[in-house]
Formats: sequence, C-alpha cells, structure tokens
Amino acid sequence: MSSAEASATVGALGAGDAAASEPPVPPAVRRLRRGGMASLFASETATLFRRWRTWAMLASLGLIPILIAIAIRIAGPSGPGRGPAFLDQVAGNGLFVGMTALVVATPLFLPLTIAVVSGDAIAGEASHGTLRYLLIAPAGRLRLLAVKYAVAAVFCLAAALTVIVVGTLIGWALFPIGPVTLLSGGQIPVGEGLLRLLAIGAYVAVSMLGLSAIGLLASTLTVVPVGAMAATAILAVVAQIVGAIPQLEWVHPFLFSDRWFDFDDLLRSPPSWESFGDNALLQAAWIAVFGGLAAWRFATRDILS
Amino acid sequence: MSPRRTGPSRFRARTVVPAIGVPVAIALAILVPMQANASVDLPDKTPEELVAFAKAGDVDALSGTIEQRSELGLPDLGTLMGGGASGANDSEADAAASDTLGELVSLATGSFDANVYLDSDHARLQVLDRMAERNVYLSPGEAWFVDSETQTATRLGVADDADVEGLEAELDRLADEARAEAEAGLPDGEQLPTPQQLLDRALDRLDETTAVSVGTDGRVAGRDAYELVLEPRTDETLVGEIRVAIDGENGAALAASVTARGADAPAFETGFTDVSFAAPDPAVFAFEPSDAFAVEEEALPLPTVDELRQWIADAQARAESEADATADLPRPIVHGQGWATVVELDAATVAEMTAGHRAGGGDSADADGADSVAPATEPPFAEGEALDLLGALTTPVDGGRALQTSLMSVLFTDDGRVFAGSVPVDALVAYAESGR
Repeated sequence: MSSAEASATVGALGAGDAAASEPPVPPAVRRLRRGGMASLFASETATLFRRWRTWAMLASLGLIPILIAIAIRIAGPSGPGRGPAFLDQVAGNGLFVGMTALVVATPLFLPLTIAVVSGDAIAGEASHGTLRYLLIAPAGRLRLLAVKYAVAAVFCLAAALTVIVVGTLIGWALFPIGPVTLLSGGQIPVGEGLLRLLAIGAYVAVSMLGLSAIGLLASTLTVVPVGAMAATAILAVVAQIVGAIPQLEWVHPFLFSDRWFDFDDLLRSPPSWESFGDNALLQAAWIAVFGGLAAWRFATRDILS
Repeated sequence: MSPRRTGPSRFRARTVVPAIGVPVAIALAILVPMQANASVDLPDKTPEELVAFAKAGDVDALSGTIEQRSELGLPDLGTLMGGGASGANDSEADAAASDTLGELVSLATGSFDANVYLDSDHARLQVLDRMAERNVYLSPGEAWFVDSETQTATRLGVADDADVEGLEAELDRLADEARAEAEAGLPDGEQLPTPQQLLDRALDRLDETTAVSVGTDGRVAGRDAYELVLEPRTDETLVGEIRVAIDGENGAALAASVTARGADAPAFETGFTDVSFAAPDPAVFAFEPSDAFAVEEEALPLPTVDELRQWIADAQARAESEADATADLPRPIVHGQGWATVVELDAATVAEMTAGHRAGGGDSADADGADSVAPATEPPFAEGEALDLLGALTTPVDGGRALQTSLMSVLFTDDGRVFAGSVPVDALVAYAESGR
C-alpha cells in the first residue's frame, strides 16, 4: 500500500478525525507493517480466545458429543439406519462419537457459532466504539478486514476440531476403540481412522468459510452486532431449506450449504478427495463474492464510531 | 470533507474493481468450458456401421462415475415399505438382507450417483448415498452386496456341493450339439452366418418396428460420442424414443435415455459423468467385510447336470405338446406386437404365482428359525398391508385397478387377471374387455 493510499484510508475516517492530519507514513514504518499485520492477527486472535463468549460457544459445541456418548452409554446402542448417521456404530467404536456429533452440529449449532463470531467482527468493534481506534493504527481498512476474516476462519477450525477432539476423547473413555468401519463395508486401522477424522474436521471447517464471508459482509452493513449475527444464522438455515426443496434443484449447486455433508466421501474406500476440492472451490467463490462486497462496503463507508 | 473527495474515490475504484471483477471472472470460468463443448464432429457413420462399431468395441477395463435419474412417475416404494417395516419388527437387518433381490431391482430403476469399476472379470458398482453407500462386488465365483445403512454384507456364492465344472462341460456339449445340428441343417457349401450377418439380420428385424437413426454428435463425460436414436414406428406405445451415446473412439456405451411419447425430458436416463478406460487400481475390487457388519450367505441355486438334462427334456416335451395346441400349461398370453406388446396373465396363473411366493416365504422363515436363535421372522408385510400398498399405488379404472407410469402400465382386473405393457391404460382395458 502506498503512503498516499494510506493517507486516503485515514482520510476516509472523516475530516473531523484527529488522525486525518497525520503526515505521510515514512518508509521505515511501512516495512514494519508486515509484522504489523501479523501482530494485528495475533492480537485479534488472542482477543477472540480471551472472551468468555468464545469459550462458552466452544464448550456448548463440545457438549454435543458428550451428550451423545452418555445417552448411548446409558440407553444402549440404537438399531442400524435410525437416528443421525453413524449413531448405530457408536456403541461398537468410540471413534464414531466425534463423527456423529459433527453430523448433528453441522446443520445448526456450528453455523450459529460461526454467525456469532463473523457477525461480530466489524459490527462488534463499531458498537463498542473501538473501530475508529483500530483504523487509526497504521493497518488500513482492507487489512483490518482481512485479519478479522482470518480470525473468523481460525474459529471455524477451532469449532470443528473441538467437536472432533472432545468426541474422540469421550468415545475413548466410554466405548471400545477399534478399527474403523468404512461406508464401503471394509475396515481401516485406528491410526488411519484418526487421520480421516481430522480430514473430516478440516472439511467441515472449510465448509463454514463461505458462511463466515457472509457474516463479514453483514457485519460491515450495521453497527448492531446482534443484527449481523441473526441475519447470518438465518441465511444458513434458509440456504439449507432451499437445498431441501427439489423444485429449486437448479439453484442447489450454488448454495454455500450444498456440500456441507459431502464429507462422507472421505469415509469411503477408496477415499475420494474430489468433494473436498469441489467444496473448497464453492466456498472460495462465496468468499470472493461476499468478501469483495464486504471490502467494497467497508472501504467506502463512513466510520462514525 | 470536500477537499478530500479525491482520496475516497480513488480508493473506491480500487475496491470496486475486484468486487465486480471477481464475479465476472467466475462467470467466465464457468461459461468458457461450456462453449468449448458446443461442437463435436466425428466421422459420419450409418446406423448399421454405428451398431457394428459399438458391438466390436472391446472395453474390458474402465472406471467412472455414473449418474442415473429415473422419473417413471412411481411413488417412492422405499418410503412406503420402509415406513411399515420399521415399526413392525426389530430384526430389520434380517428382513432387509433377505430382500437383496429387491435392492438390486431398486438399483436398476432408481435415481442415484455411483462409481463403476471394471477390469476384465472383476466389477464393482459403488452407489454413493448421503452418509451411506451400497456396493455390488462381482468377481469370479462370488458376489457381494453390501449395504452400509443396514450394516449387512450379503455374499452370493455358488453352493459348495454344486458341480460347476460338470455343468460347464454339459453346457459346452449342448452348444456344440446345437451348432452341429444347425450346420447339418444348412444346404451343402454354406456356412453358419458370421456375426456381421447375424447383426444385419437383427437390424433388419428391428427396422420393422423401430426407426434407427444416428443423432448429432456430442460430448459425454468429456469424450466425443455418437448418438444412436431408436424410435418406435407405432403410436400405440408409451415409449417416445431411446437415445444411446456411443464413444467415438472405442464404441463403449456412455449414456442412455428413454423418453416417453410427448415428453420433453427423459423418464429414465443413465450415463457417465466422468470416465476413464485405464484399468483401475486392483485394491478397489478387494472386499473384506468389517467386524461390525452382519455377514449373510446366500447360495445361488445351481442345478445339477441331471436336473439340467431333465429341464431340457421337459421343455422339449412341452414344445411338442404345444404343437398339438392342447397345451394347458400356465403361460403368459401375448397381445399385440413389437413395442405395443401386452402380456396377460390369467387368473389361475396369478393365483398360482402368489401361492408359490407365499409358500417360499414360509420356507425361508422356517429355515431362519431353525438355525438362529432369533425368533422366526415375519414376512416383510402382511396380506392386508400388501393390499393397502396396492390401493395406494393404483387408480381405479373400468373393470379393475391400474398402475400407470410414464413408460409402462399394469392393469389388475377385478376377476384376477393382470395385463402389463408399454401402452396406455386404455389399451390394457380394451384387451381386458375383449378377452372376457
């Protein structure tokens, strides 16, 4: 970013702002900025994980596999083909607790937490009146937006891993652990099973990136974080309802939620990484469009708080 | 604010460009390959040449993804039957496993995405359901049907005591005998027709009922393909046309679709969305059932050599007695011809078949009870339920109830006869009334 542009960024804050009269940034400071972006990312990530709210959300996600495991432990195994996918396998193999929990969490609970984090990204700062101070620091609006998005992406990964790790631990504690039965009917050793479980966690984290970009746009549109969060969560549900209506089949391939459940391809023999790639491409398109819109909105809006 | 206007507007230009440019780039990325698909021009072939080309194709290894879509206008049988069964008994897995044939039929007529692997005598069909999978593995001497939803693996094998080699030898002997007989029947100096001649004759016969033509060349699964179009010459049938896509390089069938008369979209279509003719990794054919799966064994009922000879003798005796036109054997009556063929089963035959089915069901239930500790399984559904099911599927017409799909009709008359054919229900009703 050139110094002229940097002054333009600051200028966008409005004439009344004290920072507007800052002189052009000298080259030495510019060199520092790369470090500045990394340190901004680090401090934003730390802020996220210092919040009670973040830990409460992760804890509630972790509660899903715990509830599933305890219920199966007390009530006994369920018959094949009933309840959520993989539920019938939990009693025989504790490694399936995390997988069942992911299937349960993906439609609503996971998007809800993602909506909270991404919807809060900009609107939260605006509502606290801290956004302009963030922009006074020589970071630039686009960089701030990128860092905020990266932090939301970190949360996506943390959320998916929480479900998997807690699920695996509680499954290990309550049930026998053994070779993992694949959908194709064969078995793989425990180690490979754990690797596939991690790959599924990565798949689910990637699945949520499109929704995060939508939350980021919503967050730049308002100064009321709850509004952005609610709009994002509602969109996640609406996308899945549209995805369930056969008459709207032509629109399905474009929905960000279209491939949320295709991680089953990683549990086949041979495993297919094609759906992982397709899903990543789909999410990348949503990130490009909604990230672009968010960038446009954030760069041109007057920051008043 | 006004002196600083230049700043924000320049900034805007830099952000508006990506905000608009990125979607445009994505749209181009989608549209350009579609344009590239538009024109395919393979060397022209007549329908006869195309059929011979397809027949001569020697594809013995491939792997690919198949998409099958079927809109026959039938209600979803799976939900109707599954709903009744799940409440009824706990031993669903048993009931489902014993219904392997039904599963295979639903594979043939349902909608699904699947991977197909083929390498000489090994084959595998991997049906990709959401969070579930059905597999059919075929290899010499055995076959597996694996269903992850019910956690069962069914092994279809030849019974241990079956005399496979003796049977093969007997079949070879019969084939040699038939050829010798045919050659003896020919005038001197003439030989048996070549495969090409046989094909020509078959095409000639086909031509009486069906217009065979070559459609426009297209791309299927990224490969240039010919299109063979079959159109019935009669208006009486429900079938409008059948289209088969044939690979322009090796003659393999890549796609097929059946369209009902007057419909815009095919009622049934299946085809590759992705295909490779390289031999797949042998590991995809290996199947070792997991401990978590219930493994069932089903022996294929192969006849012994003596039984086979007996059958042939019976068949010949029947053919001779038919020549006397005194045959009182239960067999379907055929009305019409070609595409408009209607098959009629009279009341006695229908009653016999249902009785036989019921007896067979009872036998298998007894066998289950004998060699397992589980309580004797109930038949999949009671008679009352079956009648309800029939009532839900069919609509009342003159003289009975009819099942109408976009490609086929079945009429159950009140006096117990069954008519079926690829014709409108009215035609079936007309046959039923005329035959009374």
